[in-house]
Amino acid sequence: MTPQAIIKANGLSKSFFGNPVLQNVSIALEPGRIHALLGENGAGKSTLINLLSGALAPDGGEIEIDGRSHRRLTPSEARRAGIAVVQQELSLTSDLSIAENIGLGAYPRRFGLIDYKALARKAREVCDLVGLEENLSTPVGDLPLGRRQMVEIAKALFRKPRILVLDEPTSSLSAHEAQTLTRLLQRLRAEGTAILYISHRLNEVMRLCEHVTVLKDGKVTADRSLQGVDAAGLVRLMVGRDPGDLFPHWTPSPERQTIVEVTGFSSGLLRDIDLEIKRGEILGLGGLVGQGQEDLLLGLYGALPASARRAVFNNVAGLPSSVSRANALGLAYVPADRKREGLHLIHSIAWNMMLPDFGKARGLSRRDPAAERKLATELADRLSIKGDLTRQVQALSGGNQQKVALAKWMPADPPILLLNDPTRGVDVETKREIYVLLRRFAAQGKAIVLSSSDTPELVHLCDRVAVMREGGIAALLEREKISEEAIVAAAMGAEAAKVAA
Amino acid sequence: MNQANHSRFPAWSPRALLRNRAFLTVAIVILVWVVAGFAKPGFGSYGHLRYLLELAAVIGLVAIGQTYVVIAGGIDLSVGAIVTVSAVGVPLVALSGDGSGTFAVLIILVAATSIGFLNGLGVAYLRIHPMIMTLAMATFLQGVLILIAGGTAISAQNPLLAWLGNARIIGIPAGVLLWAVVSGAALAVLHATPFGARLYALGANPLASALSGINVQATTMAVYAVSGLAAGLAGVLILGMNGQGYVGIGDPYLLASIAAVVLGGTSILGGSGSYAGTIPGAILLVTITALITVVNASAGWRSILFGSLILLLLLLSGRESQRR
Repeated sequence: MTPQAIIKANGLSKSFFGNPVLQNVSIALEPGRIHALLGENGAGKSTLINLLSGALAPDGGEIEIDGRSHRRLTPSEARRAGIAVVQQELSLTSDLSIAENIGLGAYPRRFGLIDYKALARKAREVCDLVGLEENLSTPVGDLPLGRRQMVEIAKALFRKPRILVLDEPTSSLSAHEAQTLTRLLQRLRAEGTAILYISHRLNEVMRLCEHVTVLKDGKVTADRSLQGVDAAGLVRLMVGRDPGDLFPHWTPSPERQTIVEVTGFSSGLLRDIDLEIKRGEILGLGGLVGQGQEDLLLGLYGALPASARRAVFNNVAGLPSSVSRANALGLAYVPADRKREGLHLIHSIAWNMMLPDFGKARGLSRRDPAAERKLATELADRLSIKGDLTRQVQALSGGNQQKVALAKWMPADPPILLLNDPTRGVDVETKREIYVLLRRFAAQGKAIVLSSSDTPELVHLCDRVAVMREGGIAALLEREKISEEAIVAAAMGAEAAKVAA
Repeated sequence: MNQANHSRFPAWSPRALLRNRAFLTVAIVILVWVVAGFAKPGFGSYGHLRYLLELAAVIGLVAIGQTYVVIAGGIDLSVGAIVTVSAVGVPLVALSGDGSGTFAVLIILVAATSIGFLNGLGVAYLRIHPMIMTLAMATFLQGVLILIAGGTAISAQNPLLAWLGNARIIGIPAGVLLWAVVSGAALAVLHATPFGARLYALGANPLASALSGINVQATTMAVYAVSGLAAGLAGVLILGMNGQGYVGIGDPYLLASIAAVVLGGTSILGGSGSYAGTIPGAILLVTITALITVVNASAGWRSILFGSLILLLLLLSGRESQRR
């Protein structure tokens, strides 16, 4: 007789702007069990959590709590049901003290005022549980990242949850803190709390959890007991998919001359890395989200302060000191967040395509409207952007927006393209068009650096893949060695070794 | 090919005119003038309209810079003080060998541009919010002016300015002509040069602009320098029309310039709009002021009426832009 699930999701679906993120996902959390949720970046884990905590409303399906079903959950209903979420992005207010943060939204009251004595007493209790010895009046902003994560966990415990959801809680914790957390979770399990545990550290999952749900592209690919499964089996569960014919046939380009070479390159998170980028290749940047991929691209692009012992760009020594310098050296950058960083949403398609030229041309020279129209029309034809080019970019779908973000660099014909997740939030058809375009660029002898959170993309498109981890290159895989297993293992395997140490 | 071009860039249509804010503001101005001309004898006379245009020219000149800055996503609260600096400064720098007074005017225009440039420096490199930077600059200038000029009015003995303030060329005041010429240049720069396009880029999305290779710092400094120059030019004109400058002479032009920009349909959030709307905006502003003066009420009530009318007009035009 298995215990009754506290919360059950049946057939949940959710789309953002027409892109399905979750499709028919079911999951059941039982008291006294630690349930692992695994999946690659973008598989839909965070969306699932947001549905369970009431932050988002599902498009379809239902959520059942203690046998009562809900079409959707409001955040307050979720709280009353005893669901507490420890988010991956910390949700603390850095100016408030530890105790104030822990109690925020649930302050004990006395005569209508906050009862600070009771708050301090209760906050102390949960802090003892997670091993926070700091003075409770310390502002959270003064704490290191790992301690803040513990405050976040204490905040969840303060509400005495029956269901505790932890989204990658150990990614910023030291080994000692991670041990404290492990003991805490085991204790909560014994007390009958249902725990949903998301982590990329597979050995942690193997040690702690009893049951696993694997998400892949918004669908459940496994929902089973962890008994009899090994780490390699888990990796297979996460990446097992038929790539179909989404990707163009890979053929090596004849030209393999080095165009960018940096040694001892540091920028943002990155520490002292060596990298060579060759003409005619697509160099993939893989790994978990936020391991320094963006810092690498922005550093090379002159948009982030960077240093290097030696750097050669297109036969010119030295790092570009500014974006305009980088443009002059033949670099172009397509950002991941195209709405915020790539495009001017209120301006027209044609105008957006001309923007790099506006930056480059002499400020008070005369614009040639006829030439601009002709060029914009050509670019639109080349990338099959349909319709009126005087429409605002914000009227376009994600895929077409991405095409505009790519198109604006084409007039300059840059030999080095830095692409940050160019297919994020892009429909399948446009993805295919972009893939074909990128391979064609490579065949023309351009060098392309493709950072992607989509592992199959790296496998099927790239000539080499650099797997990044904690600001370094964990592995540099050559074409014949590239596989989803190898990339995922390199992104996580090294981490497993560190925790074990 | 031509056919394809047409489908990609739809031809001009009369409907587009109805959604054009500059055109709508012109229509409102004409409507107000016609109605007021019938309602009150003398309002529609050439002499009176010419007088209104002269007043609008000063606001319009200040508002060139304000339009540029607002389109680029900032705001310049120091324009009033720069107008005063210029109106008080020209008599102070009068040199003995400078018979026509041209040299004094040039010095002051350079000074006004430099003040704007300093604003830009603070906004671009010290990352001070434009509101704080330009307000602090205004306060600083106010202090300097009080120290130098004190409370007295200073008369200008400057032939160039006397001409600018009083001459008429084929019946049109020189000040209005100056405004027309400078407006033409301002419109050309805004709409027909890469620099103008950079302003729209900056105001709509500074981050994306920087990543597209636009030099955000240089553009920011340039736009505040233009604003300083425009305010300086307005100060010179007002001195010519007035004959003397005093501390506080430029104060009314701060709110007036912002109101003209917004009445003309430029988004206060930056990134869209045109000086083509600011021109009728400035004319509308002085027209409303003139109409209120006609109403027999105390100064307090007139001020309240003026404020309410501006709000009403903005509400109407705001609804218009939402409907698009």
